[in-house]
Amino acid sequence: MHDLQTVLVLSRWQFAATALYHFLFVPLTLGMTFLLAAMETVYVTTGRQIYKDMVRFWGKLFAINFALGVATGLTMEFQFGTNWSQYSRFVGDVFGAPLAIEGLMAFFLESTFVGLMFFGWDRMSRGKHLLITYMVALGSNLSALWILIANSFMQSPHGAKFDPATMRLELTSFTDLIFSHDAQAKFVHTSIAGYVTAAMFVAGISGWYMLRNRHMELAKRSFRMAVLFGVFASIGVISLGDALGFIDGNAQPAKLAAMEAMWKTKPPPVGFNVIAFPSQKQQRNLFDIQIPRLLTPLVTRTMDTVIPGADQVEKQAVVRMKDGIPAVLALKTLSADPTNPAALAQFRAHEQDMGYALLLERYAPDLTAVTPADYQRAARAVIPDVPVIFWSFRVMVLAGFVMLLYLGIATFCSMNNKVQERRWLLKIAPWLIPLPYIACEAGWLVAEMGRQPWTVYGVLPTWMSVSTQSVGYMVFSLAGFVLIYTAFIAVEAYLMLKFIRKGPDEGAAPAH
Amino acid sequence: MIVLRILLYFVISLVTLFLVILLGQRGAWYFAWVLGTVMIVLIAAAGGALLDAQEEAKHNGR
Repeated sequence: MHDLQTVLVLSRWQFAATALYHFLFVPLTLGMTFLLAAMETVYVTTGRQIYKDMVRFWGKLFAINFALGVATGLTMEFQFGTNWSQYSRFVGDVFGAPLAIEGLMAFFLESTFVGLMFFGWDRMSRGKHLLITYMVALGSNLSALWILIANSFMQSPHGAKFDPATMRLELTSFTDLIFSHDAQAKFVHTSIAGYVTAAMFVAGISGWYMLRNRHMELAKRSFRMAVLFGVFASIGVISLGDALGFIDGNAQPAKLAAMEAMWKTKPPPVGFNVIAFPSQKQQRNLFDIQIPRLLTPLVTRTMDTVIPGADQVEKQAVVRMKDGIPAVLALKTLSADPTNPAALAQFRAHEQDMGYALLLERYAPDLTAVTPADYQRAARAVIPDVPVIFWSFRVMVLAGFVMLLYLGIATFCSMNNKVQERRWLLKIAPWLIPLPYIACEAGWLVAEMGRQPWTVYGVLPTWMSVSTQSVGYMVFSLAGFVLIYTAFIAVEAYLMLKFIRKGPDEGAAPAH
Repeated sequence: MIVLRILLYFVISLVTLFLVILLGQRGAWYFAWVLGTVMIVLIAAAGGALLDAQEEAKHNGR
């Protein structure tokens, strides 16, 4: 394999690995902060010590998770510079602002209030402490908001324009950037997925205590609050997932074709593949089970809109590559003579398809002599890894519905005070704790692998975004990250299990 | 004290109206997140308080 290709693959692996490790910590932080705020609200309004004990106990577990989440998140920001320097140069004007605000939110707002939350119990009134807890919750979710706005720009670029004079994307509208439909739906979907994670985590551990008749007062209340918190959040996650699918389906038809393993464009309404074994090489499903006529209304909200399959997406890509070639050729002239009016006019006439010609350049370095085989290879590359995306999507959706079912039954039993009589409900609760994590990781695989071969969809191909690092450096740093992050997870698991086994210090804190 | 409280509620309602106008126009999902989160937190809190009431009723044999 050529060095550049190896570096590209290793850079992608490194970012994927660090992002997936990081996202093992993030969802619990996003959700637990608001669950802690709910518990503290009851403490402040009723004055019952048990709720303070709950906040302190769950807060301890939150603190372990939060510290490791921050540590794993830091390296991702540095990777934009070290491994993706071409990407950073190209979109830095757009990407830099939300990334900087995210850093400020996470490190200044969130971390300051986290400190006050943990060490301020005896130094401020109950009302003030409650306000601090809400600020921690708001800070952690707002910091997620900004990084998701940045990510959404990569999925569906809004609010920026390529400037041939500077050879990079420049921000044209900050409001378009933050209010893009993709950013909105993605933020709400991700944030509320965190709520479900926290609900499953607290319900699982509380169920484990209740089974063993330990810390019953704390466990009963925590279980009740967690399942109520979770059941409404689950409904929200599924609704927003549907909205995000609708938005992404329009913005990224290649991702939609991959999610649904749709190789051929068929007349509407088309069926939904419940199970399929897609073959990327043969561009067909080796086996599938369909629900007839379901997919069209699911993703288009109509019965007669055509959903483009992979074949249509590839055809469209070839058209756009051909249209984008004059833009890239004009850029080559403009790089030597930035004010050349003919080149500028040629660029402006074709700039909407520039990204497709840049993608083609990987397969045909000389854009004046592109062969039909080059077009075919480049068009094939427009379709992301269908088997991985198809199955990741189904794992996420299935996990989401299983959690909704569990939380629905648990809420019903808890509201009727019958949880302790339904021991099976408590027995499965701890086993369901990994489910939201699996769903979150699978969701990110769909989002990020589904965007390939682009870093900025339709504008900047991934192959042009990578730094010129050596293979040795990439292998060494990837191995280092995997080892260190695995150690972080082992530390988190050890500390969590230690504190869970020990349980809360009920009544240890003086009552206000 | 009562005047301060009225002023506080007035400011909260102004901020809410501002959010509705600003977010309602362009950021409907963001606004839904604000409303939804407040609702989820309050429902969870109410669930906890309700459990206390249920336990108390059980204890009193009602």
